[in-house]
Amino acid sequence: MTTYIVRRLLLMIPTLLGITIMVFAISRIAPGDPVSLSMGPGGQLDAARAADVRKARMALYGLDKPIPVQYAKWLGRVARLDFGDSIKHHRPVIDIIKERLPITITLNLIAFVLIYTISLPLGVLVAVKHKQFLDRASSVLLFMLWSLPSMWVGQMLIGYFCGPTFKNWFPPAGLSSNYAEQLPFFPWLADRLWHLVLPVTCFTYSGFAYLTKQVRAGMLDNLRADYVRTARAKGLSNWVVIFRHAFRNSVIPVITIMATLLPAMLGGSVIIESIFSVPGMGLLAFEAVTTRDYNVVMAVATIGGVLNLIGLLLGDIAYAIADPRISFESSV
Amino acid sequence: MNGRSGVITFLFFLFLAVMILLQVLSMVQSDRLYERLNRLIEVREGGAAFRSKAEASSAGLPGEEYPGDEGDWLIWGLSGEPENLNTITSTSMYSRYVLSGNIFEGFLEYDPDKLTHRLVLAESYEVSKDGLEISFRIRGDVHFSDGTPITADDVIFTFETIKNPGVDAASLANYYRDIERVVKVSDREVKFIMRRVYFLSLEFTGGMPILPRHIYKFDKPDEFNKHISNPVGSGPYIFEKWDVGREIVLRRNENYWGRKPKLKKIVYRIITNDTAAIQSLRSKDIDYIRPLPDQFAELSKNEEFAKDIRCLSYWHPGVGYFWIGWNEDKPFFKDRRVRLAMTYLVDREMIGKHLLRNPEAKVPTGPFYIYGRQGDPNIQPWPCDPEKAKKLLDEAGWIDHDGDGVRDKDGVPFRFKYMIGSGVTLHEQIAKLVKDEAAKVGIEVTLDPYEWSVFSQRLKDRQFDAVNLAWGGAVEEDPYQIWHSSQVGNRGSNFVGFKNAEADAIIEEARQTLDEDKRNALYHRFHRILHEEQPYTFIYTRPEQRFLDKRVENVIIHKLGVDEREWYVPKEKQRYK
Repeated sequence: MTTYIVRRLLLMIPTLLGITIMVFAISRIAPGDPVSLSMGPGGQLDAARAADVRKARMALYGLDKPIPVQYAKWLGRVARLDFGDSIKHHRPVIDIIKERLPITITLNLIAFVLIYTISLPLGVLVAVKHKQFLDRASSVLLFMLWSLPSMWVGQMLIGYFCGPTFKNWFPPAGLSSNYAEQLPFFPWLADRLWHLVLPVTCFTYSGFAYLTKQVRAGMLDNLRADYVRTARAKGLSNWVVIFRHAFRNSVIPVITIMATLLPAMLGGSVIIESIFSVPGMGLLAFEAVTTRDYNVVMAVATIGGVLNLIGLLLGDIAYAIADPRISFESSV
Repeated sequence: MNGRSGVITFLFFLFLAVMILLQVLSMVQSDRLYERLNRLIEVREGGAAFRSKAEASSAGLPGEEYPGDEGDWLIWGLSGEPENLNTITSTSMYSRYVLSGNIFEGFLEYDPDKLTHRLVLAESYEVSKDGLEISFRIRGDVHFSDGTPITADDVIFTFETIKNPGVDAASLANYYRDIERVVKVSDREVKFIMRRVYFLSLEFTGGMPILPRHIYKFDKPDEFNKHISNPVGSGPYIFEKWDVGREIVLRRNENYWGRKPKLKKIVYRIITNDTAAIQSLRSKDIDYIRPLPDQFAELSKNEEFAKDIRCLSYWHPGVGYFWIGWNEDKPFFKDRRVRLAMTYLVDREMIGKHLLRNPEAKVPTGPFYIYGRQGDPNIQPWPCDPEKAKKLLDEAGWIDHDGDGVRDKDGVPFRFKYMIGSGVTLHEQIAKLVKDEAAKVGIEVTLDPYEWSVFSQRLKDRQFDAVNLAWGGAVEEDPYQIWHSSQVGNRGSNFVGFKNAEADAIIEEARQTLDEDKRNALYHRFHRILHEEQPYTFIYTRPEQRFLDKRVENVIIHKLGVDEREWYVPKEKQRYK
């Protein structure tokens, strides 16, 4: 197992290098640059001056050097975990990310836990009620949810549940109320949770379908298997058969899904955070891309890449732990 | 086919229809998001010309009191966040909202009703006869919010910081390029020495926000660039905190040397979603926003909405105008008659009424503020007249020689690309309207949308046939950067390549003319030339629109717009403590 992990970790290095090259290349090949953007279409700069100013700014941000040189310099810094300064904010990128990442992770974790706590039992239930009304109805419902674009749902939720026009139940934007900092801890927490309801809803509703279907398929396979029949024949209770035997075996593919679901949700943050004005990584990435704030774009993409790789690695390890039949040693 | 499969087919198509509907809705939604984004950038760019020219006024004379009860907060909803709170290096309109007039002040400001200069930090000022020296005497009682008096050293420090090449303030520094140096006459008196006479020098020097040297001083310019938060100035508000991504809070400067505003706090909440901003306003989370034109058109007619919310719509010199530019390097647009024909084709009244949905929108005739003194009020907009357009095109030699339905001249068919910022619905609608009208007279237009940063690059490199964009305005505009022939190419702002010897001469002369009436007479002539030449088709100019909670009172609309420092909330209606 240790050898396997070490080997995987070593393999991550070239992958990561590849990611950085891609990220760097895409950000530089894309037309437009932060200097011309921040200078705007002009109307204020003399033509002769504009060229000088542009040159000076490019030099200030280190954008005047050839791209490979820029890349090498950047990579050297990243190896020391220094992502440089944000061109737009004049602050170290890492500081900005430190502020933003916890918010996104909190949102994602809550959503993640919710998805699992609902999908796992639901998957089992519909497998047991195979081809009955509940199975069909939940399947239709989940697929409908799955196909609703979160951009639209978010907007609808804000439109219907955040104003006096229909129901004024939830706050439409941000993470806390005007008075939040004067509140003691528990009311503060309640206020925070109240603000999280809608964004988390947006994160979760589409996740149920996939996971429930996976669990259901796994359960169906296992419920038909011989060992389950044996267990039933032994006279074990239905409960024990389903949860001790069938469920444990069906849960394995679900673990691997976890590894791919987490990075996908980080991607979803871009949309949901901008709808709900949540200052997380997604909103940061969105703003950075539109303003060509290279250092931020590259930092976010690189961190996203690393999280992705870690997710995959954890998925594989969890796989081995959950299923004793899988051993990585033999394959080495 | 039996009954069951019929039901399934029906359900399938129903499902499909729902999916298509959802897809359409989500596309509309994403358009709106982009529109918002582009609008922000556009406003920001446009507003940049407005910077330091006409900041809202504080009329900060001690002794006089603003009317009304003290207390309460004003909560703004900003659709974007300032990139930093350094008044010298920031360029966005958001940082201007937060800083100018609230935290930082200059020697002078515009009187909001007379639109002439009046004193703020200066006790007096003097412009030398030749216009090459401007001196300011600092008031004896003015001090920064930490109590330190403002001296000539602070002024010199600010000026030198702006001019420092290592400081990230190139665009701002451009305004000060003709000022050679600042001389300290005494602790309370400074003299700016100019290289040449320029009518805006007084505005730039008088409007320069003065920074406290003891707080901002630096060894290396990068230290200054990194001073991004905790702004300290002399204004009526003090920076309290910046909760990044959420809000910026200013509290009243209890020590203020001048006239204290009544509102105790100003909070800038960042709400990136327009629908959410409206909802926040309606559920009384925020008090003040700048709505989208569509939102304003819809909600200002809604009685229930107007019960709690004041719908403000007012003109001020910063509103600017929207235009279509014709690249004069292209064979079609070289000829004045063709450009004029294009203007005749566009029904601009219709754009204001039906696309902007704003009955107050106006058709501008030139680059000056329509209610200002610089433009010639006698010039009438060209009417919409497709027949005249056809005649002009025929005269110019653009006739359909080969009978393919498209006009041509010397073998060049009249086909051009019209560059727009992608996702900006209004710009796209206007472009489509032009496309339709042009098609009717045998001109083929292709829309050419680009993402904003690519758009601005192509614009500067003049890689377009036609383009539309908005410029911001100012109390007094200098047309040099947009219209002088020296600004063609080399990434200058004369993107359309307008070259006119008479216009050049007028622009140059006007810059050096300090007498306002004489200068405006020159600009009236310049305005006439632009009107005849039609390098742009001027599409619309429209009033500023805001929504404000009704509990706020003393909302006066000045010629310069509204001034938030005059506002107050009556005791019984106050919401925050």
